[in-house]
Amino acid sequence: MIRFERVTKRYADGTLAVDDLSLECADGEITVLVGTSGCGKTTSLRMINRLVDPTSGTIRVAGKDVTKSDPAELRRTMGYVIQQGGLFPHRTVIDNIAPVPRLLGASRAKARGRAYEMLTLVGLSEPMGKRYPYQLSGGQQQRVGVARALAADPPVLLMDEPFSAVDPVVRSELQQELQRLQAQLHKTIVFVTHDVDEAVKLGDKIAVMQVGGHLVQFDTPERILARPENAFVESFVGTDRGIRWLSFFAAKGLRLHVPATVETTTSAEDARRIAREAGTGWLLALDADRHPLGWLEVATLNGGASIELAGLRSLGHTFKPDDDSLRAALDATVLSPAGVAVAVDDRGVVVGVADHEEVTRAIRAASGRA
Amino acid sequence: MIAAASTSFGGVISYLTSASNWRGSSGFLERILQHFEYSAETLLIAVAIGLPLGLLSGHTGRGGAVLSMLSNASRALPTLGLLTIFAILIGVGLEAAVIPLIFLAVPSILVNTYVGIRDVDRSLVDAARGMGLRPWQVLFRIEIPVALPLIVLGLRTAALQVVSTATIAAYVGLGGLGRYIIDGQASRNFAELGAGGVLVAAFAIATESMFLVCQWFLVSPGVRARAYTS
Amino acid sequence: MKPGGLTFHFHKVSDWAWLTGHIGYFWQLSRTHLYIALVSVAIGLLLALLVGCLAARIPTTHPPILAVTTVLYAWPSLAAFAFLLSITGPSDTTVIIPLSAYAFALLVRSVTEGINNVPDDVRIAATAMGYRSMRRLLTIELPAAVPVIIAGLRVATVSSISLATVASLIGVSTLGQLFVAGENTDFLTEIIAGVVIVAMWALVFDGLLLLSGRMLTPWARRVS
Repeated sequence: MIRFERVTKRYADGTLAVDDLSLECADGEITVLVGTSGCGKTTSLRMINRLVDPTSGTIRVAGKDVTKSDPAELRRTMGYVIQQGGLFPHRTVIDNIAPVPRLLGASRAKARGRAYEMLTLVGLSEPMGKRYPYQLSGGQQQRVGVARALAADPPVLLMDEPFSAVDPVVRSELQQELQRLQAQLHKTIVFVTHDVDEAVKLGDKIAVMQVGGHLVQFDTPERILARPENAFVESFVGTDRGIRWLSFFAAKGLRLHVPATVETTTSAEDARRIAREAGTGWLLALDADRHPLGWLEVATLNGGASIELAGLRSLGHTFKPDDDSLRAALDATVLSPAGVAVAVDDRGVVVGVADHEEVTRAIRAASGRA
Repeated sequence: MIAAASTSFGGVISYLTSASNWRGSSGFLERILQHFEYSAETLLIAVAIGLPLGLLSGHTGRGGAVLSMLSNASRALPTLGLLTIFAILIGVGLEAAVIPLIFLAVPSILVNTYVGIRDVDRSLVDAARGMGLRPWQVLFRIEIPVALPLIVLGLRTAALQVVSTATIAAYVGLGGLGRYIIDGQASRNFAELGAGGVLVAAFAIATESMFLVCQWFLVSPGVRARAYTS
Repeated sequence: MKPGGLTFHFHKVSDWAWLTGHIGYFWQLSRTHLYIALVSVAIGLLLALLVGCLAARIPTTHPPILAVTTVLYAWPSLAAFAFLLSITGPSDTTVIIPLSAYAFALLVRSVTEGINNVPDDVRIAATAMGYRSMRRLLTIELPAAVPVIIAGLRVATVSSISLATVASLIGVSTLGQLFVAGENTDFLTEIIAGVVIVAMWALVFDGLLLLSGRMLTPWARRVS
């Protein structure tokens, strides 16, 4: 456990970076420090591995005051990942990952073996190990940064805006990767970001900080979204917080209907009949394995031959009731031309549909519980 | 004039290719060795002064302004003048040649080392400290290797300046390849003069090539490629 | 090193009154000296601008130009004087050619580096605004390269002023004449006067360039 006990950092020029911060980062959890620039989140992080020393107060890691440890020894027990990657340009990827085990006394061969393990762990192939950092993409560099931090298997991982410099698609991949790693490794992670979405996605607990180094709210992401402590947190979290909050409720509770369906071989005449019997203007088109192909608008059908694939409207996207949240279900409803979200199982086979009314009912039920 | 040039060119060739000019105490081989001695000794001392100062000020970020001001000012001192002063003050000898050349060599080494270390990306230093490297480990394992292209460039520039300027040591009665130029000029022997010029230029280009080869082996491909792309 | 270490013969420093009697002589030598040194830098700069722009515009010419300038830079000035002596005799030209080549070698690097330092987005923005490449070079890229060029020009000028003393060894009377005469007569005062005057001129022109650089590039104050 990492404990901040009334920690204050005031720089020589009088700037107050961190103001009387008390905080507990639980073992095996991701604690996210989030806030605008200048709120002291990075300074707070850097005080844990003594890149900055506090003016007053104490930081304890596993009960031990960090200022009582030798800084270099202390840092070797904590992985550190930074925004720019900080990869050493003069060393190959493998030699970027191996140093900490080496510093801790592992033999060269053992450190390299470990480095290759780490490379695979973060989803890079072994041949990448021989490349130099300039030969990697931004996302790959960040993966190497994470591998390097994990190489000595430290219990603590400090991450300072590690994914801020990569594009949104890669960022989302890296976030998922981190979640996967964390599920496997259970590190105590302190994660700094200015991105609320990232905080909500990754954090077990979120500490919202305000300029001047104040901790405004320290809570679970659900509660930060649902019950912002004050106007600052509310505005910082943003206008979509209600929608985002829905990501904490499983879509499992939705009562799915059986949709009226057609196959590509169905004739237009049959399609009209099916729609009439179901009392709907929209039919879900399926292939032979019951994978959804798109929505068929009955009013656009002409002639009596079989329906045409080209005439189908896009699904928007589907959701998986077992894994996804109400947010995904709502999103699927909004984007569907028929106003109906299509639920599929892991194999992509349609298991049912949910319309606006059903999603709204589930949201009401969820927010009543919260 | 063209005719004069071409006859003297032929003279230079025959002077250079005459075997007797290569041997003995005033032969090419001896002079090349002397030239090497002056240059190498100067460079060693200049490195001993400039490199630690540059590393220290670059690593700590202190004293850079003062050092580069001093370096700039010392560039303004004419080496020939310093050479004659020292030749008179301490007598004709190795020191009289080496001391003024040190003034010439230290600035490039010092300034390039300082700038090289200072400009190492701060995030690298941050990452290195964050992973538990001690300050001297950060300097030797990260900052120096990354700054190496500039450090070697400083050494190369200094070496080149020393090698070409060591020719004027001959003016105060010392040896080295400048001997042929000074003597040839005094006796209006254009063949000797030209041969001296060729040898000094060859020596300088050999020095330059040697440093380029060193650079190729010393500098990591990761840093080298970055230097090209940036 | 010879045994016994360094012995300083300070008694050889004498006769400071000699200085005041020779101010006219110093001025006369300074004029030739500065003429040679500054004309060389001017020629070097002109060539460097032409060739540097070429290298920046046509990237394939960059490596050969760099190779040629490296060799020029490595060529010892005394050796170059020696070569030219047989062609042009002990004249100003004999000195100006190698010094120009030296300044050129130094400045080409500054010009190409300065132009290449212009951020790509600035270049793209200028192109998008409809600048043709020649106009862009002259009105956007070269001005942006001025701080780097001035920095190179300062080194080139100081080196040129310092190197022009060597011309006296081949019989061209620059301020180096004071070293030659002083050395012949073991007269330290004259040599020290020479060193001080040369250094003074070097610093004066260095300062002038520094100031004109600041005035030319008000946007780059912070770079210094």
